[in-house]
Amino acid sequence: MLKDKLKKALAPLDLAQVADGDYAKTGYHLEVAARPEQMPAVAQAMLSQGCFLESLTAVDLRESFTLVYHFANFHELCRTVVHASLAKGAEAPTISQIYPGADWYEREVYDLFGIRFAGHPNLKRILLPEDADFHPLLKDFAAEAAND
Amino acid sequence: MIELGIEEKTYTLNLGPQHPSTHGVLRVLLEMEGEYITKAEPVIGYGHRGHEHMAENRNYHQFLPNMARVDYLHALAYNQGYCMAVEKLLGITVPERAEYLRVILSEFNRISSHLVWIGAYLLDLGAFTPILYCFDDRENLLDLLDRITGSRLTYCFYRFGGVPLDLDDEFIAGARAFIKRLRTRFKDYNNLVTKNVIFINRTKGVGLISQEQCLKYGLTGPMVRGSGIPYDIRKSEPYSAYPAFDFEIPIGDKGDIMDRYLVRLREMEQSLRIIEQALDKLPNGPIMAEKVPKRVKPAEGEVYQAVETARGEFGCYIVSQGDVKPYRIKLRVPSFGNLSILPELAVDTLVADLVAILGSVDVVIPEIDR
Amino acid sequence: METKTGDPLIKLGRLEKYLNLARANSLWPLTFGLACCAIEMMSAGMARFDMDRFGAGVFRPSPRQCDLMIVAGTISKKMGPAVIRLYEQMAAPKWVIAMGNCAISGGPFYYPGQYAIIPGADLIIPVDVYIPGCPPRPEALLEGILQVEEKITKRGRLRKFRDVKG
Repeated sequence: MLKDKLKKALAPLDLAQVADGDYAKTGYHLEVAARPEQMPAVAQAMLSQGCFLESLTAVDLRESFTLVYHFANFHELCRTVVHASLAKGAEAPTISQIYPGADWYEREVYDLFGIRFAGHPNLKRILLPEDADFHPLLKDFAAEAAND
Repeated sequence: MIELGIEEKTYTLNLGPQHPSTHGVLRVLLEMEGEYITKAEPVIGYGHRGHEHMAENRNYHQFLPNMARVDYLHALAYNQGYCMAVEKLLGITVPERAEYLRVILSEFNRISSHLVWIGAYLLDLGAFTPILYCFDDRENLLDLLDRITGSRLTYCFYRFGGVPLDLDDEFIAGARAFIKRLRTRFKDYNNLVTKNVIFINRTKGVGLISQEQCLKYGLTGPMVRGSGIPYDIRKSEPYSAYPAFDFEIPIGDKGDIMDRYLVRLREMEQSLRIIEQALDKLPNGPIMAEKVPKRVKPAEGEVYQAVETARGEFGCYIVSQGDVKPYRIKLRVPSFGNLSILPELAVDTLVADLVAILGSVDVVIPEIDR
Repeated sequence: METKTGDPLIKLGRLEKYLNLARANSLWPLTFGLACCAIEMMSAGMARFDMDRFGAGVFRPSPRQCDLMIVAGTISKKMGPAVIRLYEQMAAPKWVIAMGNCAISGGPFYYPGQYAIIPGADLIIPVDVYIPGCPPRPEALLEGILQVEEKITKRGRLRKFRDVKG
């Protein structure tokens, strides 16, 4: 079973939580919580089990950010989500050397939230014009736009 | 002729945001050495309309029309993904007849999306006749969909809990007639396109994608099926009424453009099979769930729902904090990942091959830019 | 006929009437589909709705060869300078159709707090005809093109035959 193989691959990394997800309610088979510094190791473990990175996004929780990584597998169904809590102003390590597809996802997170990724080869804006000076999906952005 | 001090330098060519193939507004910066490309960098964002920001400022019902504008060619699948995600959050089960209706309409929409792709792709390559054939078939299809949903392109037809209107007998008769007609037209497409010597020379062996690249870039949809990986969410993670139908997943073997074209062509035939079975087995019953709240206020939590669209896997990730407005919606669109492989595929190709490869990725730019 | 920048340098008198007739009957549009309305524009050029019978079916990708720009879709702030540059590259006399709600006034994307779009094409380029709809049907685009022709020739072309009764 892929879920057990993933649990075994993630066990030596000393993560905060590796638990079964409630598929009917959330759509995940495996829910993992990690620190952002552990993400490259987690990504390496997922790649070794043949999982691909489905999406990489962030949620602004006002006092902190949460980076959310979704993984899935082509051959066997096992959706994994990894939540990584990031303090405001901190940098997260990039996983684009392991998953080249994460390159654009990290640029999008930087563009919309202002989160920087250490070690990213080309961290510039991707959706907004390059000279824009705001990050639209931050929760305190709406107040600025109202003053426009 | 003596050439004094002329060094080979690369020059930059801008395949600008306005270019003849109507994939939308994509800009590709090319660094070229003669006719060969050394580096290609797609610049996106020319269609950014702020869907995810709008989601945080709208309640769940008000965000429904946005989903069709994300990818307008297969709008019903995006409608379905979003409705299913919210239904999961609310804990509503959709009645069986509504599921069948959703499948029938989504599969029709998939056929129309593939027809647009074939027509527009051949137009990119320089052939003008196939697009006329494809759009003619598509108009017959849109007449059917227009009867029921009221729109031709940007449908907003599914609601939380089911569908608002039922099929009538004229639709069912028209659908069966359309299926019969399209099956005879596939012969025309094969003669006109698939066996065409110019098309074969331009697409065989070009734009090869290996299975490892599929894994590392997170590709989905016909891109991976063309490379031989049988990944289709309708089969691997069945949702809605798909478990009741018997259909195949066409796959290619080499991963070049010809394989991806054949995968899409054969997918249309499989969609026809699904629609036929759905029309035969259509159950009676209600089309809307009973207890759907008028004010959608889901409990706290998050949900991820994936559906298979014509381009790949669309994932709708919703974070709710118990309010009438979503806290965060992330739309995981297939074209975003699919396009990110372009810089790697474009190295050491001719510009003409780049146009062929870019077309075979089947991007819809407003979907990438959201 | 007046150009957008003032009176023409060379006044051709009665010849203008016939030149306008020629210009109206052979409008060459620019392929400028930005978003969803582009597909309806393509459908209008195809076999069923056939823009070619009005002379307007020759879509040119280069703005230097066009005289009609159909802005079909939302103009984002990043795309704005490109639209202006394309408009300036077209040679006079030129006309602009704003197709779809997004090109008229921002459409479904206009709300307080919108940071990414330019709500309306007429904020950056002069527009001649507005076609509402989201997206407008191809028949609506054909009506818009006929309206541009009326504007060029300043006559109601066969309007009494086109009004449908019953």
